[in-house]
Amino acid sequence: MVQSVQQVVAGVPSLRGVIVTAMPDCLLIDSWMRDNENWASEDVAAYFGDLIRANREGLKALHAWSAEMEVTIESTDMLLVLREISTDFVVGFIFERATPLGMVRLHVRRSMGILAEMLPKVQPEQRPRALRVADFLARYAPDPHTALQRAALRSGIPLELLKSPEKLSPEQLEIFERSVQDILGLETLSL
Amino acid sequence: MTELNLGTHRTFIPEQELMFLADEPVVYHCHHFNLFLDQTIDDGLGAAEGTLLRTEAAAEFSYRLLKNLCERTNADTPPERLQLARELFRQLGHGTLEINADADGGQVIGTHLHYGFAWQEKYGKKVKRHYPADAFAAGFSSAAVEIAFGLPQGSLTAKEEQCFALKDKNCVFSLKRRVPPVLDGAPVDAQSTLAVVGPPENGIGEDVIQPIAQGLKEFTAGVAGDERGLVQAFGVFVTMQLTGYYNRVSYDAVRRIEAKAPHSVGVLEELLRESGHVCVFNTFGGILLSPEWEGLVGPLTDDPLDILKWSIAIGRALGMGRWVIAEFEADRRFVVRTSSSYESAYYRTRYGLADRPVEYLFQGAALAMAQLAHRVKFTEKPALTPEYYQSLFKGGVPWQAEQTRSIVCGDTFSEIVVTRK
Repeated sequence: MVQSVQQVVAGVPSLRGVIVTAMPDCLLIDSWMRDNENWASEDVAAYFGDLIRANREGLKALHAWSAEMEVTIESTDMLLVLREISTDFVVGFIFERATPLGMVRLHVRRSMGILAEMLPKVQPEQRPRALRVADFLARYAPDPHTALQRAALRSGIPLELLKSPEKLSPEQLEIFERSVQDILGLETLSL
Repeated sequence: MTELNLGTHRTFIPEQELMFLADEPVVYHCHHFNLFLDQTIDDGLGAAEGTLLRTEAAAEFSYRLLKNLCERTNADTPPERLQLARELFRQLGHGTLEINADADGGQVIGTHLHYGFAWQEKYGKKVKRHYPADAFAAGFSSAAVEIAFGLPQGSLTAKEEQCFALKDKNCVFSLKRRVPPVLDGAPVDAQSTLAVVGPPENGIGEDVIQPIAQGLKEFTAGVAGDERGLVQAFGVFVTMQLTGYYNRVSYDAVRRIEAKAPHSVGVLEELLRESGHVCVFNTFGGILLSPEWEGLVGPLTDDPLDILKWSIAIGRALGMGRWVIAEFEADRRFVVRTSSSYESAYYRTRYGLADRPVEYLFQGAALAMAQLAHRVKFTEKPALTPEYYQSLFKGGVPWQAEQTRSIVCGDTFSEIVVTRK
């Protein structure tokens, strides 16, 4: 029985890595990468989730959304395909840039079928909004190592309390969220 | 009127490594420091109050500098004084100003202004800014027009109406007359500074540090803004900046937060230290990795003590004080002292003694030097990118810094002890 992403993609040619992100919280569930790759899956997983979410909203605005959507990104040195499994998971396949697109799609389709069987059926349970706001800040703030301190200074909420954001009162959450919006220069947070 | 040449008006207090331009204390700082410090002030006070404080601080200290320079260069008429102000602004690395104003006010157009331009370069692709960035240029502009037309200090207000950081083509400032406020801050100059420095000390490696610092001082004497009015070198944008600006915005912000949100003082101080950390890591690291450094000093090594000696020399040459290495144990402990700093000179002159050390730049700098010395493989010539900088904080910083002695608390020197966690 297949039990890991590594087993699913074993032998797929030109594949550099696979990252599985659980939605809606954009948390890393499983990953595999070639030995010589130097990225950290934890650093990437949340952005893949955000990408799919933004893509979904964009397509809905165009009245063109479908559950079968796929995001393909061709960068200088990699070819990236993002697909959803139901609304619970986002899978990112990272191929060598020169891989023929037909071969990429073939392997993605085959792997997605196995992953859909393998990954658990989950009851989506969103984490508290305050946690998601804090994660969003950490992902998108300039100079992220200082982001929480900046939010504390802007909001007047003690830093120690912001380190456990699930303990914020509704009023504090509102102030915290506004400070995050200000730091990121956003009208709303796409959580 | 004689032509302006910053090098001829730049002096150091002997053996204290504090720099003055026409008797006003100045220091070289990079855009990382400038942007982070301004941002911290605005985070603490809010955009409106932060911008106002920064504008007023810029106006206060620019006025004094311009007044002194006009006297020294015999700039007597309004056109001569405005020309001097434009040229000074450019040579300091702050950008280019076109001043269309008289004693009643007017308009100033800025291009390539250090703050807005560097903000756009560093953060523009990542976040959207909602308010102007160039309070320093605003304050400088109002002071320039006041000096040109013989107005009392504070007779003009300046407001940035358009800003490059907001994606406007240029920066545009409006100047308006007002009744000048009463200004009661004690002047901070070479004389007042001399009263609050300790006896200069020597530390480990002076035979290396002193000649390098001297060579760097000679090198920087000729540094001035390019045709844009920017100094772009060592991977950063550099300014010669009035330390009164940095000090007033920092200490006024701390005092205001102490009064209205005392529980936030700690986090404000943490961010002020980070201003120093990001500055020293990027600027000192950039200088060390530059071809100019290799030409001046020779090839780099990965010996932490070498890196520390060189960093101390850079700090002295930039006008940050007479930093010395008091103790060093590789990978365990680094103690840095100074008998002088632009922070303590200002604080003691304006406020007297403090109840705790408040030399935030020095605190952040000490930690950054330990990180440069122990965590950067200089012989591999790494690119000091934002990503590289962020990687220092993953998994926690393995060093901690504690200020154990402080001139602002009455000691004859300030001391930071940096230890391995």
